[in-house]
Amino acid sequence: MADRFKIRSTVKCDVLIIGAGGAGLRCAAEILERRPGARIIALTKVSHPQKSHTATAQGGLAAVDPRDPNDANIFHMFDTWKGSDCTADQNVVRKICESAWEQIIWLENRGMHFSRDPQGKLSKRTFGGHTRNFGEASAFRAVFEADRTGKGIMDTGWGECLKRGIHFIHQTVAVELLIEDRHCAGCIAFQQKNGTFVQILAKATVFASGGSGQVFKVTTNCRQNTGDGLALVMEAGLPVMDPEAVQFHPTGIVGPGILASETLRSVGGILRNKDEEPFMAKYAPKMKELAPRDLVARAIESEIREGRGVMNPDHQIQHVWIDLRHLPAEVHERQIPEVVSFFKHYVNLDPRTQLCPVRPSNHYHMGGIPTNEFGEVQDAGQQIVDGLYAVGECAAASFHGFNRLGTNSILELITMGKHIGDRIIERLERESSVRSDIAPCRFQEKFAGYFAAGGADHIGQIRNILRAVMTEKVSVFRTEAGILEAIETLRELDERARKTKLTQQSTAMNQELVQRWELDNLLAVSMAICQAALHRKESRGAHFRDDFPTRNDAFQYHTLVSTTDEFGKVELGRREVDMTIFGAKGENYEKFGLIERKY
Amino acid sequence: MTTYDLTLKVHRYDPDRDKSWVQTYQLTAGRILRFVDLLRKINDEQDPTLAWGSSCEHGQCGTCSMKINGKPLLACELLVENAVAQFGTTTFTLEPLGVAPVVRDLVIDTEKAYFRLDKVKPYIIRPKAQPGEGKEHLVDPKSLERYVTATRCINCFCCTEACIASHHNFLGPNAMLATIVRLMDDREEEKEERLKCLYSNEGVYRCHSSRACSHVCPKGIDVAHYIALAKAGAF
Repeated sequence: MADRFKIRSTVKCDVLIIGAGGAGLRCAAEILERRPGARIIALTKVSHPQKSHTATAQGGLAAVDPRDPNDANIFHMFDTWKGSDCTADQNVVRKICESAWEQIIWLENRGMHFSRDPQGKLSKRTFGGHTRNFGEASAFRAVFEADRTGKGIMDTGWGECLKRGIHFIHQTVAVELLIEDRHCAGCIAFQQKNGTFVQILAKATVFASGGSGQVFKVTTNCRQNTGDGLALVMEAGLPVMDPEAVQFHPTGIVGPGILASETLRSVGGILRNKDEEPFMAKYAPKMKELAPRDLVARAIESEIREGRGVMNPDHQIQHVWIDLRHLPAEVHERQIPEVVSFFKHYVNLDPRTQLCPVRPSNHYHMGGIPTNEFGEVQDAGQQIVDGLYAVGECAAASFHGFNRLGTNSILELITMGKHIGDRIIERLERESSVRSDIAPCRFQEKFAGYFAAGGADHIGQIRNILRAVMTEKVSVFRTEAGILEAIETLRELDERARKTKLTQQSTAMNQELVQRWELDNLLAVSMAICQAALHRKESRGAHFRDDFPTRNDAFQYHTLVSTTDEFGKVELGRREVDMTIFGAKGENYEKFGLIERKY
Repeated sequence: MTTYDLTLKVHRYDPDRDKSWVQTYQLTAGRILRFVDLLRKINDEQDPTLAWGSSCEHGQCGTCSMKINGKPLLACELLVENAVAQFGTTTFTLEPLGVAPVVRDLVIDTEKAYFRLDKVKPYIIRPKAQPGEGKEHLVDPKSLERYVTATRCINCFCCTEACIASHHNFLGPNAMLATIVRLMDDREEEKEERLKCLYSNEGVYRCHSSRACSHVCPKGIDVAHYIALAKAGAF
């Protein structure tokens, strides 16, 4: 039996990419383009890179066109800093904003099908929070490929890597990082299709494993986004940063959680409770439906909490309504056709004559694996782990701080992906061989434990309880009592999970086995979120404490959470927020101080 | 609350024993549950061993394509009440697509299905010279309009499954779309190799013009229209 958990083979390569989404493949493409012949292995958890979560991003990519007389990088930096509620790192903000346009051109020159203006140039549109002249007026800063910008990035990144000879290993997850004395030598990977373990040794290892949305019951994230990367680094003794910084979109469609875009409210959609009363005036008398995302999300949750929500019988999810019935046919047909089609497709109703069910939906994890501005992973003492990098939603450099602006996420993928590629190219010039002296020490015991358990519980049901409690107690509203309750539940669920027997003994394409492993990851990430949220006795960006409803700048730092051998017991640390733009005292530096996030 | 009593007959395959069979599941489900929700419900309540694939679950990635009562479609887009209306029954047969070998149950080896795409080189082979530092190529929106719909393809392989020719030598409608897009895209200079591929033994002349591809495409792409353009050389 133990044979099943043996390492079948060892593969050596220059660069190992864990997660073949937009960030991982942008990094790989940079290396392959400039160092043809570099041997890169990319693991993807999904059945093919094109199926990655990046492909679902709709809106656009923020980037200041240097030819635009009305816009400037400094405005983009300011918007990002303000949006982050003063918790983004300014060195990273500067680096990403200043390299944004160059990366748009990289994508365009390699065939991405951007939408065009009548002159044939890249079309641009506005997006919430993006302004010119430090908040004076909306900026036309987002380039886009219709409503499928992420797909454009994914197709381009995949195509370039394919062209230049990357080696993909499909439906495969990293299950243990090979780390010793702050050096990473690669990972042990589990190939789901044939159920075998392989050792992959690399001169550089890049974590690009995506988000953790499946922690919550209603999410816009893919089914595979179970926070695996965060769990894996914590298991290897490294911290995660700002796990409590989780963004919720106010209007996810019940029940799958698909985004119903902001546009619905900007064209005049009205939010109504179960008595069909409009309620936004109570929470934002002036802005009403047009108030910022987090405020609208809290208003909807308040209605639901106070018993004015509606239960969807099929999905067993509470929601409110968005009313679009009064909008002229032209608005339905011209301005919101995609979202209207989502309601038709997934709820089977006609928004022209019927109320549409929406509720806040988990959307994005700002927190993640702590890195410096070069994407190099740091330990709890902020020392670099040699040979280990992280990029994309699993990483926190941090570009978004405690609240991410729309169109900044996929921008981070392509810019940081490129910068890490640069850094690795330098490394490859120095490193001539891989290290093969770091032995794995955890995965065999872990997987053997899954098969040895004998209890009659059920993985799926435990996961469902976890997702429900995180949604109820640790999402849009958080309180000390609620978080403590969630922590207690997580402890119980961890106990239950340990005793749960797997139905089938095979390791090949054993979905229940992968879900068992994912459950451990969800538990670890949920616990990190809870402990950090409990510690942060203030409200900042997307983190809202009902018992501490205002920002307290004594907390203006990044939270570091490291796990211990005992589930639920963590060690907390802090990392200072980089404020080099403010500190340099250059022109407009005062805009980068501790400013209010008011719109 | 409206519910439906459903019977799902799922084609299963166990690679460990190399055994295939059809397993019947009975379940009661609300009207707007999707077929991916039904499969999850089976996993959570009846049988955790049933393997099936999905990723985004809102029609953007094409992982959950399968045949339901013979029709290739995305399981994330099929709601119970629509399925009952469309097929006129509460009994559904679920089968994996036939475009690649089955790994287990409804999960196919997607990587192998993609070999068809890899052959047509789904990227720019030889890019047009860069228009200058920091500049994009100008692409006339009218010219983009001619092929932009084809760029919506998510490679779910429903068209290849439905195509009456693609189980033999034809690379399949989605692979053709990928190369036709680059023939229509001015930024690609390598037209000759693309034309050779398009008119090769595995290319568009294998197509019998049944239009099944357009009929089943979940993204509403008129795939047959593009293949007709290619047959006519009208890029």
